[in-house]
Amino acid sequence: MKNFNLNEDQQDCLQEIINVAMGQASDQLARYLDTFVYLKVPSIEQVSSQHLSDTLKSEAQSVAVVSQGFFGYEGIRGEALLMYQPKDSDRLADLLGYEPDELSVEEQIIDLSSILTTTFLNVFASQIDNQMSYSAPRLLFSSNSDKNTSSESSISEHIQHNSFNWDVALKVKISYQVTDYSFNCDMILLIPESAIINITSVIDRILEEY
Amino acid sequence: MSLSVLICDDSNMARKQVLRILPESLSENVQLATNGVEALEILNNQPIDVLFLDLTMPIVDGVGVLQGIKEAGISVKVFVISADIQPEMQNKVLDLGAKAFLRKPVQLDVLTTHLTQHDIL
Repeated sequence: MKNFNLNEDQQDCLQEIINVAMGQASDQLARYLDTFVYLKVPSIEQVSSQHLSDTLKSEAQSVAVVSQGFFGYEGIRGEALLMYQPKDSDRLADLLGYEPDELSVEEQIIDLSSILTTTFLNVFASQIDNQMSYSAPRLLFSSNSDKNTSSESSISEHIQHNSFNWDVALKVKISYQVTDYSFNCDMILLIPESAIINITSVIDRILEEY
Repeated sequence: MSLSVLICDDSNMARKQVLRILPESLSENVQLATNGVEALEILNNQPIDVLFLDLTMPIVDGVGVLQGIKEAGISVKVFVISADIQPEMQNKVLDLGAKAFLRKPVQLDVLTTHLTQHDIL
């Protein structure tokens, strides 16, 4: 496996940019849901495409997974996966303030995912003087409709079949916990190797200022 | 005599961001901590006038530091500098005794305004 490990300063810089974006996304989420969102320190690690399934196993109990691609200038791109944990689905409509039957659970999850992904990535992009475009969010898996498959196999299949062609990726995991509702959502960003090189160049420019 | 300052943030870049905009009168006696445990250890062992405190940190977070300061009755002016900008969090840290909440990345004019408001400059 090629090694795209960031050095300590690069990782620290990326983590701080992610922190600021995560803070603003959680503020949006908190206002949208009218509740408080508990934040944890995000994690950043390198994963190989071969072992992606293994690395996602801990998140694979999800009841729903939404995927959305993002594309910026300077070859910065990737895939955002929003993974909702088992406790959430029953209370999601209540949490989002929808009337029963106003929208399907799947539509509500896609709505929420789009807000989280675009808010986070817009703030992330603005800090590195970039601008993001997005593909339409896509529900990869829902335990309501996919009784015979697992979220893990749905993600692997999706990653293999879309244009996201990579051997190594940077995996950034951000956890949003809405404690009032026992609602947990992990946002996982997969940034392919070609984009890692581009992000590293941007980070090095920022670090030069310090 | 210069004031003693402690900057507590798990990010090296964030600590540098604060350091480089510190007014001269605050930049002579500065200590750094990378998490809440380190910060509380310093605060419990020596007088610190001003603490710039991050919230989202490993081991002991910023809220834990504020609680520790309150429980130990430590006298220090705390300025929270955080990306967790939710109104509920801002109110929480002010209730725990912080002088002000500043959003990351902190800007020179914002920092100067708050330090002036609290008679530090």
